[in-house]
Amino acid sequence: TFDVCKPIFSVDIHPDGTKFATGGQGEDSGKVVIWNMAPVLREEDEKNENIPKLLCQMDNHLACVNCVRWSNNGLYLASGGDDKLVMVWKRAAFIGPSTVFGSSSKLANVEQWRCVMILRNHTGDVMDVAWSPHDVWLASCSVDNTIAIWNARKFPEIVMTLKGHTGLVKGLTWDPVGKYIASQADDHSLKVWRTMDWQLETNITKPFSECGGTTHVLRLSWSPDGQYLVSAHAMNNSGPTAQIIERDGWKTNMDFVGHRKAVTVVKFNPKIFKKKQKNGSTPKPSCPYCCCAVGSKDRSLSVWLTSLKRPLVVIHDLFDKSIMDITWTLNGLGLLVCSMDGTVAFLDFSQDELGDPLNEEEKNAIHQNIYGKSLAITMGSQLSSTIIENPEMLKYQQERQGNQNPNGAQASGPENQTPKLTNVLNGESLEDIRKNLLKKQVETRTADGRRRITPLCIAQLDTGGTAAVNSIGMKSNLLLTSASKIEPMKALDSRFTERSKATPGVTSVPLTIGITPLDRVKDSSSVKEPKGKDETSSDSEDKIVVKSMTKRKGEMEGAEVVEKRKKGRPRKDAKMMPISQPFPQVTFLLSKDASLLKLPTPSIQKSFSTQVSTDGVTYLEVENEVSVVSGSRLSQLKWSREGREWDTLLPSRIIIATGSSDVVAVACEDRTLSVFTACGRRLIPSIMLPAPMSALHCSGHFVMALTASATLSVWDVQKQTALVKNESLNPILSGTEATVSQSFLTRQGVAVVSLSNGKTYCFNSSLETWNLIADKQDSLVQCTDFRSCVSSQDALGSMGPLALTQGRNLSAGRLASRLSSTPHHLQQGMTLAFLEKQLASALILLSASEYRHWLLIYARFLVNEGYELRLRELCQDLLGPVHKSSSSSWETTVLGLRKRDLLTEVLPVIGQNLRFQRLFTEYQDQLELLRLK
Amino acid sequence: MAKVQVLNVAVLDNPSPFGNPFQFEITFECMEDLPEDLEWKIIYVGSAESEEYDQVLDSVLVGPVPAGRHMFVFQADAPNTGLIPESDAVGVTVVLITCTYRGQEFIRIGYYVNNEYTDPELRENPPVKPNYTQLQRNILASNPRVTRFHINWEATMDKMEDSENVDPAPNTMLPPTSMPSKAQPLGLMPDNSMDCL
Repeated sequence: TFDVCKPIFSVDIHPDGTKFATGGQGEDSGKVVIWNMAPVLREEDEKNENIPKLLCQMDNHLACVNCVRWSNNGLYLASGGDDKLVMVWKRAAFIGPSTVFGSSSKLANVEQWRCVMILRNHTGDVMDVAWSPHDVWLASCSVDNTIAIWNARKFPEIVMTLKGHTGLVKGLTWDPVGKYIASQADDHSLKVWRTMDWQLETNITKPFSECGGTTHVLRLSWSPDGQYLVSAHAMNNSGPTAQIIERDGWKTNMDFVGHRKAVTVVKFNPKIFKKKQKNGSTPKPSCPYCCCAVGSKDRSLSVWLTSLKRPLVVIHDLFDKSIMDITWTLNGLGLLVCSMDGTVAFLDFSQDELGDPLNEEEKNAIHQNIYGKSLAITMGSQLSSTIIENPEMLKYQQERQGNQNPNGAQASGPENQTPKLTNVLNGESLEDIRKNLLKKQVETRTADGRRRITPLCIAQLDTGGTAAVNSIGMKSNLLLTSASKIEPMKALDSRFTERSKATPGVTSVPLTIGITPLDRVKDSSSVKEPKGKDETSSDSEDKIVVKSMTKRKGEMEGAEVVEKRKKGRPRKDAKMMPISQPFPQVTFLLSKDASLLKLPTPSIQKSFSTQVSTDGVTYLEVENEVSVVSGSRLSQLKWSREGREWDTLLPSRIIIATGSSDVVAVACEDRTLSVFTACGRRLIPSIMLPAPMSALHCSGHFVMALTASATLSVWDVQKQTALVKNESLNPILSGTEATVSQSFLTRQGVAVVSLSNGKTYCFNSSLETWNLIADKQDSLVQCTDFRSCVSSQDALGSMGPLALTQGRNLSAGRLASRLSSTPHHLQQGMTLAFLEKQLASALILLSASEYRHWLLIYARFLVNEGYELRLRELCQDLLGPVHKSSSSSWETTVLGLRKRDLLTEVLPVIGQNLRFQRLFTEYQDQLELLRLK
Repeated sequence: MAKVQVLNVAVLDNPSPFGNPFQFEITFECMEDLPEDLEWKIIYVGSAESEEYDQVLDSVLVGPVPAGRHMFVFQADAPNTGLIPESDAVGVTVVLITCTYRGQEFIRIGYYVNNEYTDPELRENPPVKPNYTQLQRNILASNPRVTRFHINWEATMDKMEDSENVDPAPNTMLPPTSMPSKAQPLGLMPDNSMDCL
């Protein structure tokens, strides 16, 4: 609990979950405070004095702050207050911690948040502000009965003022799909407005006709799936409720009942959940549901799941005064609640209690199902009107727009540049300057005899027209108490459970909470008739359920383990098989046992010639049995390159001869392998092979041998080490009629074997596994469609072993157009899987250029289709840890490519989708930071 | 949006004999080049009873002010003792630093000032007529009180009316044009103010 003396009216968690903002009354001004989330979440962080609790406080509002809201991209904070102003805050980079002048506290502002814009329009107190999805607009509502829609890309431009309420407007919420905005006011109405033409879609009055204007705020909320809108204070048969309004037809048939006083705030959990699978006992296992927190003037909080008829939990007497605002953590498992009494409480849930949150992709799939479009992609049309905060981003956007539409004018954001302070002290320390400042400063007299001092410039500000503000604090008790009182925060978790147990009195005032139809029981006494179960507060009831659930779960897990073990054993045995049947190589002599000659051997020719090594045309000529000397037949190998040549004699007939620019390898009939340098010097005494040679390849200093007994060896003849040692091909050949149709060795020494069944494998010597890198029958290949992600330059970059195995005729989405019946999301998934496979294959083939090629296509695909998590993971890996740490196992390079250089290439791709501008800025900044280091 | 933000005020030569000049080292940041000078004033509050005893110790123009972070030392002579009511000479009073741009005050920084005799003898039995040579001035530098006002930073004065210059909370804030009565901008004397005296 943050114990502060002044009321806190609003609380909001930053989209990255690392901090949260509170707004409320300061000593003699409004106050916005940004807090660190970590001490709230973890006790050890709370106790660690090096972890700041308070990050920044701003006293710029002249009167009480009623609402604070982070933009969806996390770059801005908007605040609205009784001073009729909306302020937009942005973090100033490049300025380190500083103390707040005028504040009584010695606490430094760890982060510098500056007011970059003041929005003046309202003629009365601003009660609520809300950013639209994708931060296209900022809405603010006021006691002047109006709602202002601000153009978030061109503050302070007003897109529209929504007029129609005849009372104080006290709450706003955007439809997550972006089609509507809803407002609730003291005029007994809730209005839904269309964003298309800003006209009224519907006006709902019935549930509010009995309401008096007794609440300070009416914070309504829209469910994350867009299906339900839940109002703040509504009345049903003289009882306070939160009215549920269905998107479909704006029906008002259900409500959340049970609070004893008016509902001030409703806040949907940002996550959509699905039931945790518990032993198949759930009737509808895959039906997703939403979660909603309701706060009231009665100082209690209730949390509801749309799948349950009763609240999941009710917490009474959480505060001394009315609840004012609620915010959920990004993972949906925690929430912060603030109250008029000046405290903020943190509650957290386990996944057992709420269920499994759907990931963004699943959420998008739901949106797609309901609205026929995924939010991740669809905002495209509107995205063009999104703010561009970053000059680099702007550049990419402009480039992109330039390509698409040469006339496309692109508006820039109001604050494109972060103010940069450039030190101009010429190496002199600030302390030295201060000592002599009075003597040194230039003082003149003006014409009218007044003193005029030329101030000493200690830092230049590259503002680029940016307004920046350092907050100057008034003396405030909030400061004094906040830091010391932060500790009890964690204690609240236990408080909410202990309380309900310790005060059985709670149950004597039973809350009948349930989604009841309109014809709700009138008689309050009948409400009170408790049936066994109802007698316990829903809180403790929930506890019981959870306990029994975990118990069941435990049993179930145990059973699973046993089962697994049972299953596991035979599988293991199966794997052991090839080992227990060792290859009969030892017995392999010159016997013509066909069953053991798995791979074909080339027939012996009298003479043949091959061209090896493409750079500098090199020929190998072989002539077997050139002469017979003392009973043995000699064979001649002749090497020639651009006029230079050498030859050598071998005592056995040559079956295969091959070479690279560095070495020449020759396999003979007597199962020996000889390796020479490009000048004809023998490198190694003849290698005795366990079986006749089937295929022989050279590449650089690597030599690959595939024997007739289906074993593979790869040597580095320069280092004289074995990379692959007589590895059996059985794992890839067994169970198929296939035989090796093609094999080759990459420049990096990776052996690649293609089979007649269309599958291609490479052997990874560090994993000691055969890896499938291409499959001509793979349906993924046939259905993928990433044509839009391939640029004309990419086509050139796709040369390499991977392209070789897969065939150059692999055209993206060759079949995709024919399979137009494939649902988009299916194809999307297949393409994703395919691209990831390509990436992994390029990696295992050590093919740097192809890795880069597929990485860029992959990144483009992720950006186009809106896979944020994957994109983030990708960027994180490429960026690596910003600070050096010995424990980090992060490699700076991948296949010899510097990862951060790759990230530099990927970022412009990300920059093309405005939706990811936060991601873009985040990594751009970090890269920049690292560059400066 | 205020274009000038005061980042810090350091009180120099404090505590000091009553007759020493006041010295404030002021650090401020400016968002963009200011075409006109800033005007700073130091006002000594002679008596809590009435603002008629307020003395403007000095006023100084500061400029030119390009965008960036700047500092200067504002020195002003000690107050004219002849203008201070004898009964108010010893004890707690206030010194104000104000800054105006284009004639509009946008910030007011106030400090409590404690004037007392260093000699225990005099402290016990203060003379009826204050002995200013024995008085020590102690500015409570750790506890500045800052009040900001919205002003019109642009040259166009006609747009000044309502939104820019209106005082959104008249009850908690002084109108920028009116001279405050002494203790008002500082509110009531806080209990802890005596701690550091």
